[in-house]
Amino acid sequence: MISVRDLWKVYGPRAERIVGSPEADLPRGQLEAQHGNVVAMRDVSLDVAPGEVFVVMGLSGSGKSTLIRCITRLIEPTAGKVFIEGDDVTAANDDQLLQIRRHKVSMVFQHFGLLPHRTLLDNVAFGLELRGVDKKDRRERADRTLALVGLPGMGEYKPHQLSGGQQQRVGLARALATDPDIMLFDEPFSALDPLIRREMQDEIVRLRRELGKTMMFITHDLQEALRLGDRIAIMRDGRFVQVGTPAEVVLQPADEYVANFVRDVPRSHIVPVDAVMAPPSDGPFSGEVSADTKVRDVVALVAHNELPVRVVRDGATVGTIDRVGVLSVIAGEDR
Amino acid sequence: MSAVSVESLPELESAEVVAQRRRKRSIALGAFVVLATLALVMSHEVPSWLDLNIQTKAQQAYKWTIIHRQSAPIFTHFFQPLTDFLQWLYDMGMHVLEFLRWPGVVAMAGAIGWRTGGVRAGIGAAAAMLGVGMVADWNLAMITLDIMLVSVLIALVLGIPLGIWTARSDRAERVIRVLLDTAQVMPIFVYFSPVQVFFGIKVPPAIIVTVIYALPPAVRLTNHGLRNVPVVLNEVGESFGANARQQLFKVQLPVARRAILLGLNQVIMMAFGVVVLASLLGTGDLGQVVLNGLQKQKVGDAAAAGLGIVLLAISLDRMSTGERSHKFSRLGAAMPAVPRRVANGVAVVAVVLAVVVGQALNATAFPAWLTVDVASPIDSFVTWVQDTFRHQTQATSDFLVTYIIEPIENLLQWLPWFVVVVAVSFIGFVSKGWRLATGVGLCLFLIAALGTIPGGDGRVLLWDLAMATLSQVLVAIVLSVVIALPLGMISGRSDRFERFLRPFLDIAQVLPAFVYLIPVVFLFGVGRSAGVVACVIYAVPPCIRLTSLGMREVPHAPREAATSFGATGQQEMRMVQLPLARKSILLGINQTLMMVLATVIIAALVGAGGLGLVAYEATAKPNIKLGQGVAGGLAIVLLAIMLDRVTQAWGTSKQGGNQ
Repeated sequence: MISVRDLWKVYGPRAERIVGSPEADLPRGQLEAQHGNVVAMRDVSLDVAPGEVFVVMGLSGSGKSTLIRCITRLIEPTAGKVFIEGDDVTAANDDQLLQIRRHKVSMVFQHFGLLPHRTLLDNVAFGLELRGVDKKDRRERADRTLALVGLPGMGEYKPHQLSGGQQQRVGLARALATDPDIMLFDEPFSALDPLIRREMQDEIVRLRRELGKTMMFITHDLQEALRLGDRIAIMRDGRFVQVGTPAEVVLQPADEYVANFVRDVPRSHIVPVDAVMAPPSDGPFSGEVSADTKVRDVVALVAHNELPVRVVRDGATVGTIDRVGVLSVIAGEDR
Repeated sequence: MSAVSVESLPELESAEVVAQRRRKRSIALGAFVVLATLALVMSHEVPSWLDLNIQTKAQQAYKWTIIHRQSAPIFTHFFQPLTDFLQWLYDMGMHVLEFLRWPGVVAMAGAIGWRTGGVRAGIGAAAAMLGVGMVADWNLAMITLDIMLVSVLIALVLGIPLGIWTARSDRAERVIRVLLDTAQVMPIFVYFSPVQVFFGIKVPPAIIVTVIYALPPAVRLTNHGLRNVPVVLNEVGESFGANARQQLFKVQLPVARRAILLGLNQVIMMAFGVVVLASLLGTGDLGQVVLNGLQKQKVGDAAAAGLGIVLLAISLDRMSTGERSHKFSRLGAAMPAVPRRVANGVAVVAVVLAVVVGQALNATAFPAWLTVDVASPIDSFVTWVQDTFRHQTQATSDFLVTYIIEPIENLLQWLPWFVVVVAVSFIGFVSKGWRLATGVGLCLFLIAALGTIPGGDGRVLLWDLAMATLSQVLVAIVLSVVIALPLGMISGRSDRFERFLRPFLDIAQVLPAFVYLIPVVFLFGVGRSAGVVACVIYAVPPCIRLTSLGMREVPHAPREAATSFGATGQQEMRMVQLPLARKSILLGINQTLMMVLATVIIAALVGAGGLGLVAYEATAKPNIKLGQGVAGGLAIVLLAIMLDRVTQAWGTSKQGGNQ
């Protein structure tokens, strides 16, 4: 759905010159002093499969916001290619770009970005209005979308009358209303309280299950990345340090930087049993679980029974896990 | 590996750079001393060969325009149609105001005030408008109002698109801002001679002059409003596929609407301050009554008309302040809550009713039984004041003239002109560098090259008149700052004092400089001291406000930190708040200085002499004096640029200040 190839963003004079040159590897301060350039993103490539949730995680200044803005060229990349459903976004003319933005991709913003002078209904209908959908039609669809995100019948309110969580639900509805194939999320929940954030994450999980959108999600919160992502890319100094499933990132961190990050993550919440199971044996078993069950969810089974648990995938036994196996994952958390 | 790394620090200024700067400065000082000595040896007077004959050329050009007014395409195809169009707009406005009759105008003021600013603003606007008719000539007031409305309309029609353009292009912003700022900083008399050449007399040139001043706030506020649209909202529009037009009309303008509407108030008040002065072009409105009263020493008439102007200003201010804040208002709370549409309907019906009643009663003139004679009580009051305080005011006035204004004026005129040029250049150099030094030096040099005008016994150098004006400006700015700075500092630290001052400052902000001349003339008679005192009265309130604002803008954190380390209030102010507010305060002084200059020029109306008189006298007799008027105006422009650039350099210098 989304393919990114060798994408660079360099600020400053004659930015193209820096791309791929030895200067790009200079320390940040030195490059800025010598050439007046800042490399915000370097040599990023990625592919997001249809229906996948791809999370980009990094601290502030790591280039993740630049990356997501380059996808629809809110920021013009310096070099590289972006494809959306096979169309080359980087080569699109103004008109084609507008069509892509209006029909294929929509975005949810960190600080909501609701238009203060419009009612919720007109905010949600904004994308449809830009597309030229007539008033009655777009309002109907906006009304339905508001209900979908849990704000039924609140269309006549103004944004300032809502709490932060509710405002972001509107932001979400606005992005959903145009029925895009791809949704981009730029740290959508980082301005929210932890409890509300949790609730909104559940909302994303639900919407994804119900609507099957392809999503690219930016966050600085590792927990959020692990909860939502099918795959996670860890970004630092403008480049990807590691790309992998949550389990891969937690169990096989690519370098010390990532290792530092994931050190405190409770592994049992992330690791599926098939990643740590023993080879199949003949039982007897105390029960059976599917291969993608998280280790934590086996604890109750093995706690009361010495016998191992059978791990099945598509009806076939693929391995076993017992109390020792479970405990060693949990114990590993404190390494 | 630790995730923390110390960022590299920017290099400190090396000792070499500092030494170099010192060296440069001493070179300049040396050059200054040498040049000054040279100049002292050279002739005192501006040499006659320096005269660029600008006056003669301007006079010739004017003659040409008179002869060719009917034939030259630039007149027949541009200026004349434009002039006619302005006159037509004015006539239309007059028809509307006459149709509304006075009850309609008062009701309209109330309705607009109510619907945009709440009950209190509505009552204030209507009451003030009614007051205008009670104390002053209603028909003359309507001329003032009409010219102002037409000017504001034009300023908005031109200013909003310009504002949109400047918001989209940094280059356009730079160019247009310099042009508009320069135009706005100039004292109004500067424009009189040129607009007369191109637009004739009476209403059309008055509208043009007013638009010159009302346009900058319109452009600036549109620009400001659009540029302050949060980045994320722009991104929202873009990311959902808005094209440029949709982005402007669906996102940016609606979001900026509030800021732009708030700016409307500034546009109106700016226009108003100018309209009353533009009456010098012969519009025959309230401003002219004040002017005549001042010149014929008819205190009561001038004061009554002045009061009318003040009330009109207050009414307009109430009408255009918009929603000030959501503060609780007892008056508003007492009103039953009505939906907006109903309230709007009520307002419209009230205005229509007032118009119908006005038409039915055939209320063409403001009824005599409603008018209040303010002129005679003021006259007798003034007589009493003059009899009682004449000694004191006379003594103050004499003191100001003999011991302060004249010595400075004499000094500046006695100094060889080139010494002044070099000295001011030196100040420019120390303030910023070679470019500023050259610029201000050039300004003064050009003033010297403007030649002489007839006056006194024989001919007077424009240079000497410029020095006279400069001396008044210097005295007035020093007095203003001495008075305003301490008050501003107190108000910047004490909420209670600020609350106490605020109503005074609010009213003072609304009044045009013109109005201040009236009481000053009663007390001090005509002359230079009256001008200086009027300047001080006019300049002190904004100076207090700007100082206070600068103090209050200082971030809370460093002040709190100082207090937590045990700084006393006085230490905290001296060591934290004042240094951090320094830049804002200096910029405030720059603004005050420009107001002082504008007022010094206007004070020519009450006998302050100087360049203002040259520029203003020419308006009455363009046939013989236009050349002088142009030269006088140019001298004012050059003086204004010089003063503005130097003081701006203080406020924007690199060392210290707010970020």
